[in-house]
Amino acid sequence: MKVAFYPGCVSKGACPELYVSAKAIAEPLGLELKELTEAPCTGAGVLSEQNPQLADALNGLTLAMAESEGADLMTICSTCQGVLSNHNYHLQQDKERMDRANATIGDQGFRYGGTTKVKHLLWMLFEDIGIDRVASAIKRKLTGLKIAPFYGCYILRPEESLGLKERPERKTYLQQLISLLGAEPVEYRGSTKCCGFPMLTFNREKALAMGGNHIMEAKDKGADLLVTPCPLCHLNLDGQQPDAARVLKKDIGVPIFHLPQLLGLAFGMDPAELRLDHHVVPTKGALEKVELKV
Amino acid sequence: MRAALEAARAGADVAIVTKVHPIRSHSSAAQGGINAAIAETDSWESHAFDTVKGSDYLADQDAVETMCQEAPRDIIEFEHMGVIFYRGPDGKLGTRAFGGASQARTYFVGDITGQALLVTLYDQILKAGVKVYEEWYATALHMEGGACRGLVALEMVTGELHLLRSKAVIIGAGGLGRLYEPSTNALICTGDGYALAYRAGAPLMDMEMVQYHPTTLAGSGFLMTEAARGEGAYLLNSLNERFMKRYAPNKMELAARDVTSRAEATEIGEGRGIDGNVLLDLRHLGPDVILKKLPQIHEMALDYLGIDMVKDPVPVRPGMHYQMGGIKTDVDGATPVPGLYAAGEVACVSVHGGNRLGANSLLDTIVFGRRSGKVAADYAKSTAASTGGEALLRSEQDRLRELLSRPYTGETNAGLRLELAIMMDKLVGLYRVESGLREALDKLQGFRKRYETIAVGDKGRVFNQALTFSLELGYLLDCGETIIRSALIRTESRGAHTRSDFPERNDKEWLKHILLTRQGEGEPELSYVPVTITRWQPEVRTY
Amino acid sequence: MQFTIEVGRFNPEGTYPENAVPGAPFPAPWDRSPARRYQTFTVDLPEHAVVLDALIAIREYQDQSLAVRCACRSAICGSCAMWINGHANLACKSKLSAFTQDGKTRVESPPSMPIIRDLVCDMKPFWDKHLAVKPWLQNKQPVPPPNEEYRVSNASMEELIQEVSCISCSACLMDCESFAVNPDFLGPQALAQAFRYAGDPRDAETKERLAEYSKPGGIWDCTHCYECVTQCPKGVAPLEQILKLRRMAVDAGFTNNAGTRHADAFAESVRESGRLNELTLMPKSVGFFNIVEQIKTLPSAFNLIRAGKLPPLIHKAIPGVNRIKTIFERVGGRFK
Repeated sequence: MKVAFYPGCVSKGACPELYVSAKAIAEPLGLELKELTEAPCTGAGVLSEQNPQLADALNGLTLAMAESEGADLMTICSTCQGVLSNHNYHLQQDKERMDRANATIGDQGFRYGGTTKVKHLLWMLFEDIGIDRVASAIKRKLTGLKIAPFYGCYILRPEESLGLKERPERKTYLQQLISLLGAEPVEYRGSTKCCGFPMLTFNREKALAMGGNHIMEAKDKGADLLVTPCPLCHLNLDGQQPDAARVLKKDIGVPIFHLPQLLGLAFGMDPAELRLDHHVVPTKGALEKVELKV
Repeated sequence: MRAALEAARAGADVAIVTKVHPIRSHSSAAQGGINAAIAETDSWESHAFDTVKGSDYLADQDAVETMCQEAPRDIIEFEHMGVIFYRGPDGKLGTRAFGGASQARTYFVGDITGQALLVTLYDQILKAGVKVYEEWYATALHMEGGACRGLVALEMVTGELHLLRSKAVIIGAGGLGRLYEPSTNALICTGDGYALAYRAGAPLMDMEMVQYHPTTLAGSGFLMTEAARGEGAYLLNSLNERFMKRYAPNKMELAARDVTSRAEATEIGEGRGIDGNVLLDLRHLGPDVILKKLPQIHEMALDYLGIDMVKDPVPVRPGMHYQMGGIKTDVDGATPVPGLYAAGEVACVSVHGGNRLGANSLLDTIVFGRRSGKVAADYAKSTAASTGGEALLRSEQDRLRELLSRPYTGETNAGLRLELAIMMDKLVGLYRVESGLREALDKLQGFRKRYETIAVGDKGRVFNQALTFSLELGYLLDCGETIIRSALIRTESRGAHTRSDFPERNDKEWLKHILLTRQGEGEPELSYVPVTITRWQPEVRTY
Repeated sequence: MQFTIEVGRFNPEGTYPENAVPGAPFPAPWDRSPARRYQTFTVDLPEHAVVLDALIAIREYQDQSLAVRCACRSAICGSCAMWINGHANLACKSKLSAFTQDGKTRVESPPSMPIIRDLVCDMKPFWDKHLAVKPWLQNKQPVPPPNEEYRVSNASMEELIQEVSCISCSACLMDCESFAVNPDFLGPQALAQAFRYAGDPRDAETKERLAEYSKPGGIWDCTHCYECVTQCPKGVAPLEQILKLRRMAVDAGFTNNAGTRHADAFAESVRESGRLNELTLMPKSVGFFNIVEQIKTLPSAFNLIRAGKLPPLIHKAIPGVNRIKTIFERVGGRFK
């Protein structure tokens, strides 16, 4: 099935392993990725906060581009998902906002009609691709691994714009997926909490403590690794983990996987192919548990 | 809080003693609005007349005049404090219609007027730096030389009793709704103020005047504001009829509360109710009005009954709501006991007489709160401090110790309270008769005997709510007794007090207030005070 | 209908009912809060009953020593906020049937607040923060005479209804992630009330307020996670109010902070290339001349380089970037 693929900025910047692994799992899942190469950054909530009209226009443009492809817009980042869903929701509800956004982008060759559906890969696995298809693509069950899900705020809140009132099951997809792949999901409070990334530049120490605490909670409950559908969370939880360890004065050392990397492993792909050797926190220990090397 | 603010402004060293944080007060539940004759087309005389008529001519007209004259400036003062009142297109305060009013004069904030006033007033208390003894539970007033000189309070967090000496005490402790089931009132409305004053020798006046609110949510008893009817809601019976046309053809659903509650009870009693309720229908108002002007009750009906009032009518019934009677005070909130003042629902000036108009209660609290604060502060300037009270503190400590040491009997205070409340609703509710009232008094004495033996189910020191609940039940029993006795004494029907054996209003004999003053353990002393009439002679009361 | 409730008990005097089982300690950053002991009760209530109904039934008929704050039962007094299945909610507004997980409902006093007893927490942190934002009207001069109101539009008053709806239940603060790691953070309720007054046309000290709220512990210490918006029982949406304050503060010129620099750097990057340039975002947010902070970020930069995760040094613009530039020109505001 064709999707308007929106990779977001970070997967093409500091988290190239996400982009690579996302492309790699498209084939087994039957996804035809039509990348929206001319779509701008969503603003990550920062621009929405400071200038809602600007963010309406930028995201309206992206949504219009997906609309003209005639396909759902697929994200691989919780933050992109949250921001695009938020703007989509408001543009659809508020005619004034929609008209203003369209007036800004109208002469650029695009006009948003309000029909685009924004869906994260995680949702598409259950709602569009179907778990049967996913199950049939599994070549290597991840038995023996204890995996802690880390959602990332913006794929869970605010609930209205993410359609969670209508589909509350979206709040448990990660756990369900982990079980489907043969591993044991770890239940812990931090799985739905904030990693601290938005605050990283304002209050570095506290932001690192936030993420670090959540990883430690999962570790104390036996987690071998965390999996997250958001590369911004990944940057904080993986990229900044050594610094977080220093702030908390604790040894952390828990690898953080991207969602497509986990899928790729289960689909039988090689860890190096999924760039699991390009993390700050080594993935070696976790991979050894399923007899893999990187 | 209004009293404390005024006392602080008058230079007094004032503290608030409150059993819950001030923001948790039941005033937060007042929804619809606050009355004042501010508009150019309005006059305080009109407001006063509506109030007097609404009271079924039992209100003291000099007090009513004072309240209505001062209302506009008190409301504007709150606006200056920051309350976000509704505005008309000219940027001035705007009104909505309310029951028993000859013209719209109710100022409001959505359907959260009480809360909006409360939080703003609390913020002003913070600004003025008034001290608050939060979660200190008053157990007795300290009397010295016949005057009130402070109180004893239980500090909930530590379990310690403290004696707080002061030159004056203002009671603003609210109502007694837990004496009835169903009631719109919060769990904390347990008549503490009435009982404390009564035990200290202050008279309780017009206690038989207990108001039932016409629209309380079926089941829970939650308040469905009169503002709904102010915005145009209908009351329907099982025949889909707007039955109020038979009881109050002019004002229809906006007749006075006692008239409306009795109408509903009659409809239900004569078989035209639906499962013991009538219906409040707002569908014709449209979602815009409902969601903008009445969002809170819309959510309540949805949350607690699963009914969306945009689409369906809501089952409601009369529920006990307000006590018009209370501690006797003059227009400055002064009780006959020197040093003791009272304002708000707990007081009886009397401005509400036999029936209170909607949106007059919030007004009552701020006008007489202010007046009592000023007068009490002035009084305190000319009084010496108390030096005694130790004996009271010790006897309170003994009393509490005794409560905590009782052996379990198998009975609980909660169970007794429920029996008492159901009994009060049945025999001392909307309709009363002598035999029923005598039975009620008998039953109450029986309850008292049982209360004397029931153990407190928590022996701890920290935050012992079982202990405070036991004290609260004691207050409710005192209040209940004065209500039943007053109801027996008034052999006529007036306002909220309806005697099936005396169905007519009897102005010749009963244009007077009933006062009960405690004397030891026996029957209270009965006295009367005539109603003060300034300009409005009693007329037949129709809506 | 039968419901099973697990109640977290805590008694500073140390006495507990026999069947109260010690619970697991709370994870960091709440590991300083004492672990509760959990006592399981069964109650028989109508199917639409709420958690508070269960607690009152327990207190009245099963264990009178259960301490819980409650008054109005109808979500207006704000007394009964507590952790229900690990998230702060009003007990009187939470239907037991909606809050049953693994066959039971778990209630406890949240570890984010100091505890007094059982379900009663010490609200002092909450009230202190409320007081800290000077939550009262500083009257704009001239104040109208005693018989006249300020003339303001109804729209400006209606805008504040959302904030005035706050019942000070503290659910937002109880679940605030930033407050959890940073006790100095003013928190969602205080900042929502801060906006209530900063956004009131009758308040005279808007600029002074914004200056205060822009300091550490204020509006820029919020991690933007929407927990408060989700948990608030009255729809106050504290985060939205914090964002309004941020916009107001920047417009008023309080821009010497990482938050503003971050937004400026972000916008510049998107305007010039259509996407985020992570390489320069961090240094620009921190402030080029803020050497101390710059040095602090170096270790993680090295780690990223070592792992081969450094973004390309030459930051390429997206195809069609002129569209983006046009958008910025038209509605970019200060980001033009």
